[in-house]
Amino acid sequence: MRRNNNTETVSATPALSRRGFLAGTAALTFAIGSGGLVAVARATAAAADKTLKPNAWLTIAGDETVTIVFPSTEMGQGSSTALPLILAEELDADWDRVVIDQLDRDDRNFGNPIFGGVLYTAGSTGVYGYFDTLRKAGAQARRLLMQIAADAWSVPLDSVATEPGAVIHSASGRRLSYGEIAALNAPLPAVAEIGEEDLKPRSAYRLIGQDLPRRDVPAKSNGSERYAIDVWVPGMAYAAVLRSPVEGETAVEVDDAAALAVSGVLQTVRLPDGIAVVAERLEAALAAKALLEVTWSETAAARSYDSAADLSGYAAAAADSAREGVTWAAKGDAPAAIAGAARVVEADYRSDYAYHAQMEPMAAVAAVDPDGRGAEVWVGTQTQSWTMRTITEVLDTTADRIRLHMMTMGGSFGRRTALTQEYLRDALLTSKAVGRPVKVVWTREDDVKFGWFRPATAQRLRAGLTAEGRLSGWHHRVATPSVIAYFNPLRWDQVEPKDIISMRGSENKFYGIADLHAEHVVTERHARLAPWRAIGASYTSFAAEAFMDELAEAAGSDPLDFRLGLLDDNPRGRELLQRVAGMAGWGRAPGETALGLAFAGYGDSMAAGIAEVSLDRDSGRLAVTRFWAAVDAGLIVAPDNALAQIEGGIVFGLSSALKERITVEGGEVVQSNYYDYEILRADEVPEIDIQLQVSDGPPTGIGEVGTPMVAAAVANAFHALTGRRLRHLPFTPERVLEALA
Amino acid sequence: MIDLTVNARPVQIDASEDTALLWVLREHLGLTGTKFGCGAGMCGACTVHVDGIPTFACLTAVGDVAGAAVTTIEGLGAGQGAGQGEEPEGEADHPLKRAWVAEQVPQCGYCQSGQIMRAAALLEENPDPSRQEILESMSTNLCRCGTYNRIVKAVQRAAREA
Repeated sequence: MRRNNNTETVSATPALSRRGFLAGTAALTFAIGSGGLVAVARATAAAADKTLKPNAWLTIAGDETVTIVFPSTEMGQGSSTALPLILAEELDADWDRVVIDQLDRDDRNFGNPIFGGVLYTAGSTGVYGYFDTLRKAGAQARRLLMQIAADAWSVPLDSVATEPGAVIHSASGRRLSYGEIAALNAPLPAVAEIGEEDLKPRSAYRLIGQDLPRRDVPAKSNGSERYAIDVWVPGMAYAAVLRSPVEGETAVEVDDAAALAVSGVLQTVRLPDGIAVVAERLEAALAAKALLEVTWSETAAARSYDSAADLSGYAAAAADSAREGVTWAAKGDAPAAIAGAARVVEADYRSDYAYHAQMEPMAAVAAVDPDGRGAEVWVGTQTQSWTMRTITEVLDTTADRIRLHMMTMGGSFGRRTALTQEYLRDALLTSKAVGRPVKVVWTREDDVKFGWFRPATAQRLRAGLTAEGRLSGWHHRVATPSVIAYFNPLRWDQVEPKDIISMRGSENKFYGIADLHAEHVVTERHARLAPWRAIGASYTSFAAEAFMDELAEAAGSDPLDFRLGLLDDNPRGRELLQRVAGMAGWGRAPGETALGLAFAGYGDSMAAGIAEVSLDRDSGRLAVTRFWAAVDAGLIVAPDNALAQIEGGIVFGLSSALKERITVEGGEVVQSNYYDYEILRADEVPEIDIQLQVSDGPPTGIGEVGTPMVAAAVANAFHALTGRRLRHLPFTPERVLEALA
Repeated sequence: MIDLTVNARPVQIDASEDTALLWVLREHLGLTGTKFGCGAGMCGACTVHVDGIPTFACLTAVGDVAGAAVTTIEGLGAGQGAGQGEEPEGEADHPLKRAWVAEQVPQCGYCQSGQIMRAAALLEENPDPSRQEILESMSTNLCRCGTYNRIVKAVQRAAREA
């Protein structure tokens, strides 16, 4: 049996391989900025490496290989295929010759314009944020290739055209492949400015909108894909970390004698919030970790954290009208509209902490240089920028000393987004301490106990109804901590006091609500917090759309009709609701099952969903038996993957709605593993029908749009079935029984 | 030294008998297609075949499988493809691996080796399972990306095309 050597390990996957050039092979390299193509150079591979390579998004080699840099990171969302495909479309590249190259540096020239150039993969913004840049750059590169060919043939530019991978001159029947053009020894024309009118009309697309297979799927279907946790490098040791069970406590006394006696254990290393055991073998590190005897300090404020008490406090804050919130969204005059309404409806909703439960536990490999100021690092995160920052801060060094490998992630859903990445920090500190490469592997218990969670919330919704049953004023108060202030203080400095992670969805922008006020009642943070798939919309849309059904009932309206009445100015949204109603057969009388409707979305992407539920009244077990969704996410780059992402988002939402709950007692997370933090299993998953409503708009994101509608659709179906309301997420059997009592 | 057979090749393992088979496969032998998910038999990411039986490698002591034949995702289908077992690691062909690609099942992909190993055992027992039978059999294996319905389609495709 052959052990994988270092080279194999670092070359990641066939889909994202780093392709070397043969010495002397000609190539054209293209540098791109957020406004499109900014420079082009002709160089041999060696020269390209020294000059434009740091900035080269696109390289066209003499052997016809087109290498496109993937500037995001891959956690399952498929943008490692979709982003290069957008550039390839406008370049008119031969997709079969395109090689995708993972960006492994914090080079802000490649940053997402949505995040001010920070390399950050989150919020369904990959395709949306890079769409214009990639199209324009691809078109400019194509124009440049056409110009070189036209000059070589001494014909006007407008007499040449392209076919996949080649420039052609129909009048003379001449043809130059992109590789041949790259190899021509001809002067390079200037980069042309081009406008939207120079880009392909959508009707001419031959890659976008087609169901081209994802490049990463073959390796993920035979076990050969490599994640950070799979990395092995020569001389590597393993570390397991015993962390302080309560945030802020430190080790007062450590007895590591028993741990050090385990065969193969090298040493223990003190970390800021724990003790690492480093060993020749992972099994030895894990066994020794269990033998560490540590006395922790007992002074941290976090000892008082208790999720049940916290949630009661949040509920009191949401209900206390004297307690001012930070306005997240405001239109018209909500207080006046509500005060002037014939009737006022009010309801309180709650949601518990939720854990990402990504399948790959946190892991990282670091090989710190002997001087302690440089390192080679293998890690999967959602951000090259903050990963590089973590490394340079921990080693007190500069980015040029770091060789970073951004690995494909075994799921993430927001988990690996923070400014400071503690799993990576621990790999660096332990490698530095032992003078060898070290792989840090978290156990599932570590991953749960030291998770960074979706915050718990208490929400109060208040709205007026006119005598005719029309909505008159909408007030949504969300009592929850600021997520951004914790997970990224640098970003908080820029956006304070507006917290999109905590509040998204409560702006409720798809409806025509004339008088709306959404406010953030900022509570104390009593757990580690991070973005979680669909961020705030996962709970604000639950509350808002469950409340919408309560309003419809109070108004004596059908939930569908009541919503349609608020969509006069949103024809795309109206169509979605009508479409999903048709798909599900909305309007049928409840029997053994019942239907519930919700309309929500994420960013500018909209989704209408209907859940069909059944109930075991003895156990309180609620089952979702079918789910239908109609989604408008503008232009769809990869339809088959879009369906997969939306379905995944729906399953994520169902799992959260039915099961997922983190509790905290005495500052410690109560749950440990998948046996007490259950996520949806195969036998609990309904058949899911999704229709994409492809519109003329730009692509608006598909990674999260499936999630926000789900919990409300389930709660509303439960009401249709039982006449009772579920107002606390998740809808555990105990809560269902309580609602039925 | 513990002797066992992994993907049809005899191997000798220098580990204590209580070492999890999962660590032996992943860290001693470099067969990282088998994944660590929970260490508690709750997620199925570590599913391998021991003498043909689907088994959680995380809960299996290597000493307990001495002399047994272990098949991992890398070896699944070896000997069935054109290479007759001489394929490079990870490239052994199998109807389920092809079906997983055809149905574009994986998203993050981390759980999929375990899913495929579980599905292979199901198809050995039941060559033409219904949707419900697939869902029940596969419910030992978690997928956080929510690919369950595509897994059903892929298992059905593999059953058709095998």
